[in-house]
Amino acid sequence: MSKVKVEDLTFSYNQRKMILKNINLEVQKGEWVAILGHNGSGKSTLAKTMVGLLEPAAGHIYIDDILLSEETSYELRKKIGIVFQNPDNQFVGVTVKDDIAFGMENLCFSKEEMLENIDFFAKKVGVFDYLDKEPSLLSGGQKQRVAIAGILAMKTDIIIFDEATSMLDPYAREDLMKYIKKLHEDGLTIIMITHDIEEALFADKLVILKEGKILLEGDKSAVFHQPRLFEDANLELPVALRISNELDGAEFSAWKEYLWAYSLEK
Amino acid sequence: MKNIVIGQYVPGEGFFYKLDPRTKIISIVFLMVSLFLLESITYLLIAFGLSILLLIAGKLSILRILKGLKPIFILLIFTFIFQIMFNKEGTLLVNQVMRFSVTSIIGIFVITVIWRFLAKYKRFNTILFFLYLAGLYFLLARFNYGAVLTTFPLMIYQKGLEMSVFVVIRLIIIITLSTVLTITTKPTDLTQGLEKLMRPLKIIGIKSEDFALIISISLRYIPTILDEANKIMLAQASRGSDFTEGKLKDKVKQVISLLVPMFIIAFKRSEDLADAMESRNFIPGKPRTRIFDLKFSYIDLFTTGFTLLCFATSIYLKVI
Amino acid sequence: MGIQFRKVSHEYSFGQKGFFQAINNITLSIEEKNEFICLVGHTGSGKSTLAQHMNALAFPTSGEVEIFGSIVSSKRNKKIHYNDLRKHVGLVFQFPEYQLFEETVEKDIMFGPMNFKVSLEDAKTEALKAIKQVGLNETYLKRNPFNLSGGEKKRVSIAGILAMNPDILVLDEPTSGLDPQGKRQLMDLFKQIQEDTLKTIVIITHDMDLVYEYANRVIVLNDGDLVYDGNEEDLFHKEELASWSLNVPSTIRVLQRLKTQFNLDINPFQKTVEQASLELKRGMNR
Repeated sequence: MSKVKVEDLTFSYNQRKMILKNINLEVQKGEWVAILGHNGSGKSTLAKTMVGLLEPAAGHIYIDDILLSEETSYELRKKIGIVFQNPDNQFVGVTVKDDIAFGMENLCFSKEEMLENIDFFAKKVGVFDYLDKEPSLLSGGQKQRVAIAGILAMKTDIIIFDEATSMLDPYAREDLMKYIKKLHEDGLTIIMITHDIEEALFADKLVILKEGKILLEGDKSAVFHQPRLFEDANLELPVALRISNELDGAEFSAWKEYLWAYSLEK
Repeated sequence: MKNIVIGQYVPGEGFFYKLDPRTKIISIVFLMVSLFLLESITYLLIAFGLSILLLIAGKLSILRILKGLKPIFILLIFTFIFQIMFNKEGTLLVNQVMRFSVTSIIGIFVITVIWRFLAKYKRFNTILFFLYLAGLYFLLARFNYGAVLTTFPLMIYQKGLEMSVFVVIRLIIIITLSTVLTITTKPTDLTQGLEKLMRPLKIIGIKSEDFALIISISLRYIPTILDEANKIMLAQASRGSDFTEGKLKDKVKQVISLLVPMFIIAFKRSEDLADAMESRNFIPGKPRTRIFDLKFSYIDLFTTGFTLLCFATSIYLKVI
Repeated sequence: MGIQFRKVSHEYSFGQKGFFQAINNITLSIEEKNEFICLVGHTGSGKSTLAQHMNALAFPTSGEVEIFGSIVSSKRNKKIHYNDLRKHVGLVFQFPEYQLFEETVEKDIMFGPMNFKVSLEDAKTEALKAIKQVGLNETYLKRNPFNLSGGEKKRVSIAGILAMNPDILVLDEPTSGLDPQGKRQLMDLFKQIQEDTLKTIVIITHDMDLVYEYANRVIVLNDGDLVYDGNEEDLFHKEELASWSLNVPSTIRVLQRLKTQFNLDINPFQKTVEQASLELKRGMNR
């Protein structure tokens, strides 16, 4: 039984251009999957179909083995949440407290349970001191964390991050990655959409998209052993590996081994 | 730096802060209607006195309320003068001939320049203004030098004076009431109050929850939008579109160069926000629980009682 | 000529709530010839504020900025037409969405030059030149800017400023949000423009790899202070890098690890992957 299963998914906005073609993907419970691809490869579209925001032209999506459809979307959205790229455009509440409450209010949680959850998850993501603050007083990274708190409060255990760090500066990015790592340690299933290889290194499995198709799939080691395909997808390997790939000759094997180990550690 | 906070809400303590927003909204409506029903200046002055007592009882800073009157200060002056000039009933109180002569016109020019020059000392604004008016009066009424160009009689009638005082005081009370509302009520509470009050409109198809959500989302984005407008103006100014100068034709282009990006960004935002809300199980029209609930207490009962009493009194006074 | 900052400070005041010192006592000089400058620093260090002083969008609260001969200080000088200064120093903002507004790419690019009284015909010529300069072909001119991809929009916004023929080009985080290929393409483009026109380019960025590879001068701001103004090579030898919230470029980082681990005789200060691997090969032979 997989947490998320994408079966033969095809999607297009109009008949002319196929955004996604025959995508097959399985994500197990507690797995961290990174979906990499150049701008325009269809990654965000894939993310949106997984939460039912877009309807596929063909194929199916299963969450906890239940088929995602218009009828089941309300129930299934309780299990899977998504953090978007623009921290400002997903912040609904007038204050942090309001925003974390939003999802729970939609699910008709009781007032007591909501207040308890708000305190608990605000502490967990480090925004407890900001509960009564308005979003205009928060940084991008803080807003993203508020979004996470709101999703966790709905008892969701699968979170998709759709380029959630691309509008943050390097420090905020590192910071957010640390929180996501903690979530993963707590057992959450993480699906991370990105074009940044450094972020993808945290993942258990990498999926490379190019022009709507899966080019390559596997763990870091397997994927990095195919540098040609990587370049083909307009992505860049980590610097250490690119250097290693330039060194040919048996005399470099110790160094190459070290560079590989360095790249795969995180 | 984004430090714009929504609304004029000022945190504080006291009677008015403890009231349910619904009570405040309904009371203000009824009190304003009561005010308009009053016809005699005596009763209006009683109402004015009552308002001041209420402010003191509610521990509100009168200075802050006065600041709320600043924007309409000019309107008050204008209303006052207007009533005086055009109301010609009752006994003639003042009959003064105002003389325009070359020297008095020069005199007016001089004191106007002095007034504007001294305007930078903002603390003395009101004193200076009244000094200026006194100076104008002196020059036009008492200054008897120079050849007279034209004259006009300044006539103030009793009724005129009464009416202008009446209208001005009424305006002051109304503004004070609404200022009390906005100062003591958080925008979110106000929205929720309106939402609950509008529930009965469901009969004619208006869903108050959706309406309230629209208002609260709009409020939440005001600082964001202001910030964006500023950034857009900077970006366009970088391309030579200086918003402080240019002919009319240029101005049109300048405005378009500001509005188009704002709209495009707003449309993108609504798409993204709709996605975010939908992904968090929002369904328009579906019942939702709330973290904040409005609760009535004894204070609200007392206030409502007081309001209804005022209302009844005004109706009674009007009818007899 | 160029831009001269003399003890420039900028303070944002919030009335009773206090004030924020965005930049503090900055003195520096930017010539209009041949410099590829990267302006770096942590978020809130004052980079954007500094950039806005370069084309008189912001005025100093103390000190003065001389922009191509005109002196900009805290008091508005009625004789200076501040708008004209923006012809000399072109500032491109981070998000093209704040700038694009016309129905066609061509009209949008022409907006800048025409604001500076360039004729319709000449503006069209400039637009054609600019669109090619940013690596897009002529067919883009008749397209609707809102139907373009993110990367294409960025290029159009840059073209809009290039068409004004500024003497100094300032870009605020031009590569943010682009994928690695996109970043590289854009930086190569700037290098190309700099080499063709010999003008000065100032880029605000967080990406130290790009800074190391492309810049020949780096200005570092930290909490509003100017803490470094020199070449890119010396910068990454400095101990204070971490306290300035700057990362070490990846190539240097990787080579230093190898050097320590295997006790190698190499110079870890290499700018590109190619140079790094060459140095390693040399190191093997020693």
